[in-house]
This record gives sequence, structure tokens and C-alpha cells, in this order.
Amino acid sequence: MADTKKNAVWKCIVVLAAIALCSGLLLGFFNIITYVDPLQSAYDRFAEDTGASFSEMADEEGQQYENGRVIYYAVSDDGQWNAFLTAGSGGYGGEVQVYLYFRGSVLEKLEIGENGETFLSRLEDANFYDRFLGKDVSELSSLGSDVVSGATLSSRAVNGAVGAAVQYFTEKVSGGDTNE
Amino acid sequence: MNRNKLKETVLGGLIRNNPTFVLVLGTCPTIAMTTTLAQAFAMGLATTFVLIFSNLFVSLLRNIIPDKVRIPCYIVIISTFVIIVQMVMRRFLPDLYATMQAFIALIVVNCIILARAESFASCNPPLYSALDGLSMGLGFTGALCLIGIVREFFAGGAFAGFAIPGFPAMSGAGASAFGFIAFGCMMALFNFIIQKAESRKERLRQASLPLAGGAGEVQA
Repeated sequence: MADTKKNAVWKCIVVLAAIALCSGLLLGFFNIITYVDPLQSAYDRFAEDTGASFSEMADEEGQQYENGRVIYYAVSDDGQWNAFLTAGSGGYGGEVQVYLYFRGSVLEKLEIGENGETFLSRLEDANFYDRFLGKDVSELSSLGSDVVSGATLSSRAVNGAVGAAVQYFTEKVSGGDTNE
Repeated sequence: MNRNKLKETVLGGLIRNNPTFVLVLGTCPTIAMTTTLAQAFAMGLATTFVLIFSNLFVSLLRNIIPDKVRIPCYIVIISTFVIIVQMVMRRFLPDLYATMQAFIALIVVNCIILARAESFASCNPPLYSALDGLSMGLGFTGALCLIGIVREFFAGGAFAGFAIPGFPAMSGAGASAFGFIAFGCMMALFNFIIQKAESRKERLRQASLPLAGGAGEVQA
């Protein structure tokens, strides 16, 4: 009786483990087929969004801050654009990636990247991104952290992503401490 | 292959047991992903893919999976196919993926998929199960597309991304509340048509029955 019960438990474990293993192998195979190099993807996106060309990343290592992190930072070949890929933490579905493009020190463009948010469209409806656009780094650093009702966590994550870029810009780009 | 069962399986998912309009399952993506026809169609196809393959594999493994761990096994199978959809969309349809990535991941918890795995695939042969997945998926896709057409028309004055001249966008029509109203109206219309068709079919069947005591005569 005890043996039968033990066998049943073992059968459950073995079957579940075998299914999980097959699932892992299948996903590994698909990962090889569909793999996208994040660095190349960032280059392509920077070039597509600004219309400028980017030959190399000024910073491939990035920088971690309290509410977000800078993933990649690059300067366009003509030196006009400072492009950032940042991620703000604390979103409803984890990190929210944001592409930020500064012409000189003025934020000209902001695009949302990968995220797991379900209410991100509310930010667009509330023109949330307009509060950042056209502003200088010094203005952005003194900007309060307003949020949109109904998408509080998503707003905080975007604030964190913009804050990380601004902090990086202030500390390393304006200060001339880049890897260029 | 039993022809009647085949017909029942195919028509069941599309019409009689339509997951959206009749079973009222998967309401979350129905409201969230029907603001445009393109999103609705992509969501429907992604769900159809997951439904077909999860049903197929659950059915193939139905005699091996112990009863006590069947739900975790189903979830592992379903999530595998959802991640595959995510990977493929991210690689080949990045723009579309960017607008609906959170909802693609949420297909794992779409109750249509687990419901079909538990109620149909776990007790039917693989071919019927895959067919049930296809039929349910197409039924779901069709329903999402219908709602998507209505919502896009009112919210954006457009059809499939193309603006229709003379039909301005209606303020507030893009909101979830309007989505629920459109969903409810279409559900009522769908069920009304189905009921009419069923009662017509029943009348015809009654009319073709032989009269009591008669020799195969039909009623007038």
C-alpha cells in the first residue's frame, strides 16, 4: 500500500519533470531561431527614431540608479543626438524600458520600449509624456514626479526611467565623464 | 472518423459554443485588445495557435499525465506555447508586439485555453482536440475582429487603419466602457441570430416528421 502511494508520487514528479524538460528544450530551440541581439536592436532603434547614424555605444555597461537604470547610451556620429535606452523599475508588470533622445541637452523625443504594463495607453491619453518633452536636463531634474490616475505604477516607472537618464546626463555627459 | 462528431466539433467552437459570445470566456483580452482590428486579429491568431498546440499536446499526453498533477502539467504546456508566440512576435512583428506584449503574456491565464484542455482535450483523441482548438480559436478570433471593427469605426472613424471619409472619431468610444457596450450589443445580436436559426431548423425538423398514424406525410 505504502509502495503504491510512493510510486504514484514518483510518477507525478517524473511526468511533471519530463514535461518541464521537454518544454525547456523546445523553448531553447525557439530562442536560437528568434534571438535578437539587444545591443544591435538598440542601435537600430536609435537610428530609426532619430534618423541619424550610430556607429558605437558610448556606454554599453550602463548605470544603476535608485528608481531606474541606464541600459545603453550612445552619441550619434554627427554629435547632435544623445540617445538613451533606460528602464524604470516598479511598474505593474516589472521594468518599463524608455528610449530618450536629447538634441544637445534638450529632450526632443521619448518612446516607450519593452514593458509588461496593461494600462500604459492611459499615459498617452493623458498626454503624460508632454511634461518631459522640449525641456532641458536642468528643468527635467527639478521636475516633480506626477502620476496619472489609474496607471500610478506605470507612471512611476516612466518617471524612474527618465530620472535615470537625466541623472546620467548630469553626472557623466555634462560633466564630460563618458567613455567616448 | 465520425462525421457528425467532426461537424459538431467544428461548428461548436465557431457558433454554438463560441467562447466569446456564448460561453463568455476570455473577457479580459476581448475588452483590452479590440480597440483596433489589427490588434484584435493578432490577439485572436496568437490565442488560436496556443489553443491548437496546447490541446494537441494535452490530448497526446492524456494517458500519461497523472490526475493529481494534471493542472500544473497543462499550465507548463500552455505557457510553453505562449512563450513561443512571444518570441516569434518579438522577432518578426516588433511593432505589433510592442503594443500588445503584456496581453500576449496573459494568454497563459486565458480561461478558454485551460477550459478546453481540461474539458475537451483531456478526454478526446489528438485530432479532435486540435480541431477543437482551431475551431474555438477561430470563433474567438472572429468575435474579437467583429468587436474590433465596431470599436475602431466609432473610436477612430476608420476600418483596418484606413480612415473612412465622412465618419469623424467619436470622443470616448475608445474607452473600456464603450468596449463593454459594444461587446454586450454584439453578444445579444449573435445569440438572437443563433436562436432564430435554431428555431427555424427545429420548425423544419418538425415539419419533416411523419404524421402520427400517417404514411410519411408532412405537415402543411
